[in-house]
Amino acid sequence: MIPILTNQIMKNKILLPLGLAALTAVFAGCGTDAHYVQTGDKEQLVNLGQINIQDYANAASDAVKDLLASGALDRVPTPPALLEISRIVNNTSQQIDTDLLTKKISIALLQSGKAVTKIVDPLASNYHQELQGSDTKVTRLPDFTLSGKIIETVERVGDTRRTTYSFQLSLNDTRNEIQVWEGEKEIGKQGTRSSVGF
Amino acid sequence: MKTSISFLGAIAAGALALTGCATVNTVENSQKSGQRYPIADQRVITDESFNSRVAVIGVNAATTSGNLLKVQVELENHSSSIQRFLYRFEWFDANGMQMNNIVSANIPEQIEGGESKFIYSVAPNPVCKDFRVKFIAAK
Repeated sequence: MIPILTNQIMKNKILLPLGLAALTAVFAGCGTDAHYVQTGDKEQLVNLGQINIQDYANAASDAVKDLLASGALDRVPTPPALLEISRIVNNTSQQIDTDLLTKKISIALLQSGKAVTKIVDPLASNYHQELQGSDTKVTRLPDFTLSGKIIETVERVGDTRRTTYSFQLSLNDTRNEIQVWEGEKEIGKQGTRSSVGF
Repeated sequence: MKTSISFLGAIAAGALALTGCATVNTVENSQKSGQRYPIADQRVITDESFNSRVAVIGVNAATTSGNLLKVQVELENHSSSIQRFLYRFEWFDANGMQMNNIVSANIPEQIEGGESKFIYSVAPNPVCKDFRVKFIAAK
């Protein structure tokens, strides 16, 4: 009887710390320590009612690939094409900074050597005017403008919600008043709640 | 008791068949008028499991009118369920130096069971001559 009792106490002595350690591990695993992440990585947050940073990257990447492949920017009298970023209409329920989309596009187009963008800095424009002085030389007008719209569509069935963001972009030829390229990227997210991972 | 277990099992199997195993049937013209130029590729596989489900069938390249390298990769889902993954194109110049911008972003993609799909990218500028594509399976 005594050896059996001792054995039971021994077992409890081993199992109790093990159980406590397991519980600690479980609770510790519930949260994650802050760490640096890469945009669009495996741990990306997927919000159903929000445009995530990787959504802008995805839409911009698609637009740049499509625009460069189209060759539209190559058809100008004096390359590289001069591009001016025009208005991007926000037709979503959230307040967004459209530079998150357009800056990525203009950086990529500048790096491609296919286009340069028109100065939007007032200080630089003032210097330009001063340098021009009385010179009647006309400032080069943009060959193209880039305009667009971001549209949000929400559908619900029971608890399941699907949000689709449509990024529509147009490259407008200023000399001929025609659209020479158009691109649309739809990014859809569906679920009952936002999550980590894709 | 046995009957009710079998009944529930059948319902579960039916539900699984209806939700998780929808595959894609395809049809295409047999006599092709377009010519695809496949290029020799070199692969490093670290995720055998994902590779056995979503395989790279071929890679072909072309040059755009603006002298940019355009690369297309054909993928095939060998499983009967939808597969989600990230892919990323990386570009290198003639000296092997990496040149990345937004066209090298991680792009989320999905492929239906049994489906064959193309992904593509265009080099960020005319000096890019080589490329690498990375695939990461979803969690």
